[in-house]
Amino acid sequence: MAQVRLGVKKVLAIDYSRCTGCHLCELACATKHYGVVNPYLARVTVMTQPESPLSIPSVCMQCRDAPCARVCPVNAIRYDEETGAYLIDEARCIGCLECAYVCPYGAIGMDMKGEVIKCDLCGGDPECVKVCPHEALIYGPANKVLPKISRRRAVLVAGIVDAEKILVKEPTETVEKAKEAVKFLYKIWEKVGKKPT
Amino acid sequence: MPDKLLGWGGTILIIDLSREKGIKKPLEREVAVKFLGGRGLNDYMLYKLVKPGIDPLSPDNVLCLANGALAGTVLPMTSRIHVSTLSPLTGILGDGNAGGDFAAKLKHAGYDQVVVVGRASKPKYVWIEDDTVEIRDASDLWGLTTDELVDALRDEHGDDIAVAGIGPAGEHLVRFASTMVDKFHSGARGTGAVWGSKNLKAIAVRGTKGVELADPETFYELAKLDLEYFKKNEFIKKIYSAIGTHYGLLQWYPGWRYYEKYLGPEELPPGLRPEDFARFEVGRTQCYSCPIGCKDVYRALGTIGYSSEFESIFALGANLGVTDTEYVLKMEHLCDAYGMDVITMGDTLALATFLYQKGILTDKDTEGIKLRWGDAETFLELVEMTAYRKGFGNKLAEGYRNFAKLISEEALKYCYDVKGLNRGWYSVNFLNGVFTLSHATSTRGADHLKGRSWAYWENDRNMDPELPKKLLENGLPDYRKDPVGAVIVSEHACAIADSIGRCKGSINTWPHAIPLVWKYPLWEGVAKVMKAATGYEFTAKDIELAGERIYVLEMLFNIRQGIKRKHYGLPLPPELLNTDEGRKQVEKHNKMVDEYLRRRGFDPKTAYPLPETLKRLGLEFASEDIIGKSYPDWEGPPLWPLDKYPRG
Repeated sequence: MAQVRLGVKKVLAIDYSRCTGCHLCELACATKHYGVVNPYLARVTVMTQPESPLSIPSVCMQCRDAPCARVCPVNAIRYDEETGAYLIDEARCIGCLECAYVCPYGAIGMDMKGEVIKCDLCGGDPECVKVCPHEALIYGPANKVLPKISRRRAVLVAGIVDAEKILVKEPTETVEKAKEAVKFLYKIWEKVGKKPT
Repeated sequence: MPDKLLGWGGTILIIDLSREKGIKKPLEREVAVKFLGGRGLNDYMLYKLVKPGIDPLSPDNVLCLANGALAGTVLPMTSRIHVSTLSPLTGILGDGNAGGDFAAKLKHAGYDQVVVVGRASKPKYVWIEDDTVEIRDASDLWGLTTDELVDALRDEHGDDIAVAGIGPAGEHLVRFASTMVDKFHSGARGTGAVWGSKNLKAIAVRGTKGVELADPETFYELAKLDLEYFKKNEFIKKIYSAIGTHYGLLQWYPGWRYYEKYLGPEELPPGLRPEDFARFEVGRTQCYSCPIGCKDVYRALGTIGYSSEFESIFALGANLGVTDTEYVLKMEHLCDAYGMDVITMGDTLALATFLYQKGILTDKDTEGIKLRWGDAETFLELVEMTAYRKGFGNKLAEGYRNFAKLISEEALKYCYDVKGLNRGWYSVNFLNGVFTLSHATSTRGADHLKGRSWAYWENDRNMDPELPKKLLENGLPDYRKDPVGAVIVSEHACAIADSIGRCKGSINTWPHAIPLVWKYPLWEGVAKVMKAATGYEFTAKDIELAGERIYVLEMLFNIRQGIKRKHYGLPLPPELLNTDEGRKQVEKHNKMVDEYLRRRGFDPKTAYPLPETLKRLGLEFASEDIIGKSYPDWEGPPLWPLDKYPRG
C-alpha cells in the first residue's frame, strides 16, 4: 500500500469558531489590492451582523479540482504551486464571469474596471491572515495548519447547541474564562497596585 | 493638493424633514482641517444652526450624526458615530458616541455627516444607498423595538446595511432616550427624543464606494503597526477580550444603593461578579473594524440581549441594590430594545428609591408603587413604564434632575448632577480632584468620557505598565501634581478621538483613543495617520489645537445656553455640604475650577472666554455671540406639562 501522508500544499484555512466578524480582513484586502478601503472590493467576505456572535468568512478555497479553472473557456486560470493559489491571467481573461457562476463559494467577483476579483493569496503572504486579530484565518502547509484547526474544533464541538441560530456554548467555558481573567487582573495588581493614589 | 478631499467622504447630507428633502453639500476643506470630523464637525454645525434658548423638542432643534475623519478605514476601531444635538435631558450640548457598523457604512457611502432639521408631518425613515437618498414612510416601523426595527429594515434593504434609529422611548419623548445603532449601541444624552420629536424613526445606509486615501501604503502600514500593539497585548487577550467592561466591576468601584458607598473588588456581592455574568454569555461580538470584541451576547429571562457593560451593571444593578444577575441583564436589554440610556435610567430609579426611603417621595407621587432596594421585579416593570410614559413612568421619563424638579426642592438637593447630567458624587480629595473637576468641566455635564479617565490613566497602567511614564514624559501633566493640567490635556485627547471617529476603548485607555500614542506620543501618531489618510500636512500641534478648538467651541455653545461660572459646581450630599469639611471641599473645588478656566483662556469670574482665546483658536466667528453678551441663566430644558407627551 502506498504511504499516505498529510499534504504539504499551502492552504488558507478558516477557523469559523474564531472569527468575530470585525471585517479587518476585508478592509486590508481591498486596501492592499486597490488602495481603496472598500469591503465590496475585497476578495474575502465576512458574513455576519453587528449583534451576531457567529461570523463566517468566505474566501476562495483554492479547490483541488477547481470548477473555475475547469470552465474557463480561455484557460486563463492556472494553479501556482509555490503559493497554492489559482491565479487569473489578466491578459487572457475575457471577463465572461463563467468562473464566478460556477464557484460553489461565491468567492469570485468583478471590480469597477470589469476585471475579475479572486483571491491570489497576495503572492504567498496573505494580508487577511496578517491582520486577523484572532487567528481565524491561517495560512501555511496543510500538514501544519489543518491539525491545528482540528484540535480547536474538537474542544469546541462538545459544547455547541443550535438554538435561535445562536451559538450556545456550555456556560462552564465562559465562566472559566471569566475566572481566569479575574485571576490575571489580580496578578497585574501585584505589579502596579490595585488602585491609583 | 488634490481638489477632492481624500480620507474624508467629502459630502455632508442635510435632511430637511419639513420639506422632505435631502440636500448634499460639500465638506469644506478648511472646516475639515479645523474640526477634523465626527464630534468636531457636529459642534461646528450645531453652533451655526441651533439658536440659543429654543425648546430641544421643537422642530428648531438640529440633530447631527457624524462618523469621524478616519471612519471606515482599515485603522482598527474607527467605527464610532458621534450624535450631537441640543439635549432635551440637560438643555445644553447633548452628545453621545456609539459603535456598530453605521459610522463605517455611512463613510463608505461617501458621507461625513448627516444633519437632520425640521419635523416630518408623519413618521419617516431615511434610506441612503451611496448617492441615492430617499425619505420614506415609516408608519409600519413606528412602535417597533430597536431589535425589530433593524430586522425589518434588513428585510426591506438587505442584510449588508447599518441602521441608526430609535425605539419606543424615543417615540414617547423620554428625555434620556438614546440614538440606537444596529440594535444595541447607544448614543445617549436624550438624542433619541429629538428623533422622536422630528417624527424620524431611522436612518439606514448601504455604502459601496469605500474610502479613498491620499497615501494608502503608508496608511496601511501605520494601521498594521497600531493593530499589532493590540494583538500582542496580554491584558487585552486575557481580560478585555474575555470579559469586556465587566473588568470594571473590579477596578472602577461601582456605586451601591444610590452612592451610599462605592464597592471595592472584594465587596462585590455574589450575582454581580464577572463570572456570574459569564454564566449567561452565549457568545461575543464587536463593532466594525475592532480587533478586541468587548461585547457579550447573553440570554437572560428568555431573551437574547447584547453588550452588558459595566455601566449597565452598575446603574441597574449595584446602584439599585439588585444582585440578581438575570434581572440586571434583562433590564439592560429592555433599555436597549426601548432605546434608553442605562445610566440615566438607573440613576433616576436610584434617586427615586432613595427619596422614597427618605419619605421625600410619597405613594401619591409614585401612584402607589413601593420602591425598595433590590426589588428587581418592580424596577423591571418601571423600565417598561418609563419607555412608554405609563403611570409613574411618565415622571421618571423626565430624567434625573428634571424628575427631581417635579417632586420638590428637597428632592433637588439630592441630585448629584452637574449641568443636568448625573455621574455620582465624589470627594474633591479623591484622586487629587480629577473626578470632581472633570465632572464639573465636561461639556455635556458630569460624565466620565470627556477626559476624566484619561487624566489618571488607571486602565493604561493595567494594560501597559510602561505607558504612563511615556505619557508623562511627553506632555500629559501628572495628576498627582497638576490635576488641572491633566484634565485639560485629557479633554483634548477625547475630543480628538471622537472627531477622528476612533473608539476610546470601552475601558478608556490612551492607546485606544489616540492611535499610536505608545509609539509617537502624544499627538504625533494621529498627525501621521491623518496626513496619510487626507494628504493634508497635519502636525502634532495642529492636532492638539484642533482638540482644544473643539472643546472650547462646546463651551461656547453652552454659554449661549446660559452656562455661567456657578454651573461648574461640586455635587455633594446635603449632609456633607453644610459641614466644615463640605465647605472646605467646595472651596478647594472652586480654586481648581478657577485655575482651569484661567488656563483655558477664560475669565474665571464669568466662565466666558477672553477675546484673544477665540482668536488664537480660530473661533472668531463666535465672537459676536459671546464677547460682551449675556444669556439667561441655565435652568435645565423647558419641561412640558406631563399630559402633553405621547403616552402608550
